[in-house]
Amino acid sequence: MIMDAVINRFIFLLKSWGARISPAESLDALQALAWVTLHDRDTVRTVLRSTLIKDLHDLPAFEELFEQFFSLSKWSPAPESVAEPLSQNKTAPESLETVAEQDIAGGRPDSDNAHEDALDIRDYFDDAQMVTHFNSHQDANDLRLAEFSQNLVLSRNRDLLDQVMQKAMQLLKVRRVKNVGRVGELNFSEAIAALDADVIADAVADLLDELSDLDVDENLIKQLSGWLDGNIANLPELLKRHLERELALQPPPQVPERPRRATHDYRFSEKERREMTEIVQRLCRRMRGARSYRRHISPHGRISVSLTLRRNMKYEGIPFQPVMTHYRDEKPQLAVICDVSLSVRNTARFMLHLVYNLQSLFGQVRSFAFVSDLVEVSTYFEQLNIDEAITTVFNGSLLDTDVDSNYGYALMCFHNRYLAAVTRQTTVIILGDGRGNRNPPQAWVLEEIRRRAKQLIWLSPEPRGSWKMGSCDMPLYEPICHQTEVVRSLQQLGRVAEDLLRRSVTQH
Amino acid sequence: MFASIEQTIAQLRDQQYLCDRKLATVAFLALQMRKPILIEGPAGVGKTELAKAVAAALERRLIRLQCYGGLDEAHALYEWEYGKQLLYTQILRDKISRLFEGVSDLHEAVAQLHLHEDVFFSEHFMVRRPILQAISSPDPVVLLIDELDRAEEQFEAFLLEVLSDFQVTVPELGTVKAATIPYVIITSNNTRDLSDALKRRCLHLFIGYPDEQQELDILRMKVPALRETLAAQVVAVIRRLRALDLRKAPSISETLDWAQALVLLNADALTPMLLEETLHLLIKYERDTQQVNDQLSWIGEPLQMQRPPVIPSAIETSLHPPARPAELDVNYLEQRRQEHTARYFTSYRGRTDGRTGG
Repeated sequence: MIMDAVINRFIFLLKSWGARISPAESLDALQALAWVTLHDRDTVRTVLRSTLIKDLHDLPAFEELFEQFFSLSKWSPAPESVAEPLSQNKTAPESLETVAEQDIAGGRPDSDNAHEDALDIRDYFDDAQMVTHFNSHQDANDLRLAEFSQNLVLSRNRDLLDQVMQKAMQLLKVRRVKNVGRVGELNFSEAIAALDADVIADAVADLLDELSDLDVDENLIKQLSGWLDGNIANLPELLKRHLERELALQPPPQVPERPRRATHDYRFSEKERREMTEIVQRLCRRMRGARSYRRHISPHGRISVSLTLRRNMKYEGIPFQPVMTHYRDEKPQLAVICDVSLSVRNTARFMLHLVYNLQSLFGQVRSFAFVSDLVEVSTYFEQLNIDEAITTVFNGSLLDTDVDSNYGYALMCFHNRYLAAVTRQTTVIILGDGRGNRNPPQAWVLEEIRRRAKQLIWLSPEPRGSWKMGSCDMPLYEPICHQTEVVRSLQQLGRVAEDLLRRSVTQH
Repeated sequence: MFASIEQTIAQLRDQQYLCDRKLATVAFLALQMRKPILIEGPAGVGKTELAKAVAAALERRLIRLQCYGGLDEAHALYEWEYGKQLLYTQILRDKISRLFEGVSDLHEAVAQLHLHEDVFFSEHFMVRRPILQAISSPDPVVLLIDELDRAEEQFEAFLLEVLSDFQVTVPELGTVKAATIPYVIITSNNTRDLSDALKRRCLHLFIGYPDEQQELDILRMKVPALRETLAAQVVAVIRRLRALDLRKAPSISETLDWAQALVLLNADALTPMLLEETLHLLIKYERDTQQVNDQLSWIGEPLQMQRPPVIPSAIETSLHPPARPAELDVNYLEQRRQEHTARYFTSYRGRTDGRTGG
């Protein structure tokens, strides 16, 4: 029950860090934890990891959060500087916590290290089960109980905590702020110290009420109430540490690595990603579903009457050996050539996202990026995550992105180096606006590509109307391609994808 | 039966399979929770071996389904034995015609036949493929679905019913529920992402390369004839090879093959020459060979020491090959060479003047 709460909180935080976890997986995690002993931190880590984390991308977040969430050692012994002034105003000097601290500091100096390691998760769970025979190990368990109860109280009653904090903040507002802290940090020293005793007393009463509603062991409540009564002065400290820890559990701000050149923010929102993945998956499914025209003899499929009759002539026409024919599934191959020059920078980001998704779904996708020179970027898109891959393409380490785009030269490069990638199964998709800055357009390369490829599709971000203006070679390229489409947004892409595939299926 | 994590480790060790606690935890949980394990990791780190070891440790039969492009239900689940059906109808022709002795008209005949239809669509004429075998086996089995990433996405969807409910639907027979719950191990080489729906139903496990001590232990266990110093040298060299940016880094299976080869060659110690001669056992690509040859002196470094120090596994020292000098020139020439050959072979009659059309 208590374990559930703690694990649920952990999962909630994990989700807020960006991991995708379904309720079914959460249930699995809880179920799995019931099978192992919780004494071993690594076991618990393995159990949670194998049940919750299915994608390697989420692994770093998990490890990080696990470290922070299940390490009380960082949290529990109060920093000296804070603890000292507090101990002076303390109403009851013999708090459980100080006893425990002394216990660590003086009582067992030799086992200090081991103790640190052992703190973490065991404290959550074992105490939950050991509360009943708590008295047997009074001393040793003091610290654990203290931490556990703090955690229980504060994790379970976040609303209440918020209320207390609000009151504290109101008080703070009444007083003048003398010392404004750094931006983004909570300034406790003033606020909490100024918490009036009655506010805290109210809060504690509420807290105990709340607790008695929960199905917690009665012993624990007694213990808690005793502890709280004696340590009202400690509450602010407790709140502070709790909030500090909450702050630490927030998702880390994403600090992008400094690229070689200043680049825009190429991050994609989760929604964008999902939509793109969906569209591309649909596209993929349709392409997979497209059957080639020819039927082949195979052990599966439908019986071919004529072939069966012929083969079984020797059995007097009794069909002992049926002959089946099967439509051979074709494996579409993709080659994507993407313009990443400045003129299409905004849409290139979108296009590269498309490329990335295609690459992750199709087995055989080769992707190329060009401005003037053309390079193959398949490996980057395979190995890096989307944000890194796109940044790599744009920051100029692979190819010079500052020159004017030169379609003719890029096509020549493709022809010279990579034409072998285009076979009869290949669908070539070119993403770009076709503005070659009055360089020779080399349209014959495109003809050659069309001749070899199954399908040649050009997706341009520019509306058809403006193709005639300026130095645009699209009118030259368009008749060569099987398809030219204008795509600027996800919606358009979805529509075009459907359309394209419908046509590519009926074409056969 | 795996009763605890420790016991899992011990039982797998009895089957000559060394594993760390992480792996054992998942293997243990999979049995207790009756959930499939999805194992990802590079080729040759013992994904398939785990299934074999688990099957042996649990004394269960191992049923293996190797996935490939174009795998369908007929190969994975069941198939009607068409030839046998036909043969039987021919042999039983007399019996069948006797059925119609008292029949007056066609309608009655069809009705009569209808009663016996299920004879030919019964389990006698069904070829059971791995998944159906695993599900309908009276004794629990270990089902290994190997390299699932090679099969199509549709096949994954088909697996969902099997994996979560342990049942399959055969249209002619109805739903077949599992007599016993099989221990399912799915492996993937990560050539494509598996669907979320599938991942959700599995315990996920990533197996990577083992650390030095563990690899040494595995080597000792699997190739007992290998001398101690040689084993340490082998492991040290393999670790250096993995530090290089190779297209196919040598994994445990390659290490074992190599060790086996060295035993057959009666080698006492690994000399740089021996290393060079046997390197092709470890390197599978032309490009990699080139790279390894360039770094050969660095890779061979541990061989110079009399007894290579066993690094405590807790402290993972990072290995980095020295930077290659004059990399730029080579690359540039290489690039030009490709361009030239490309031009040579594709002597296209196309226009170079930029115009199109007639």
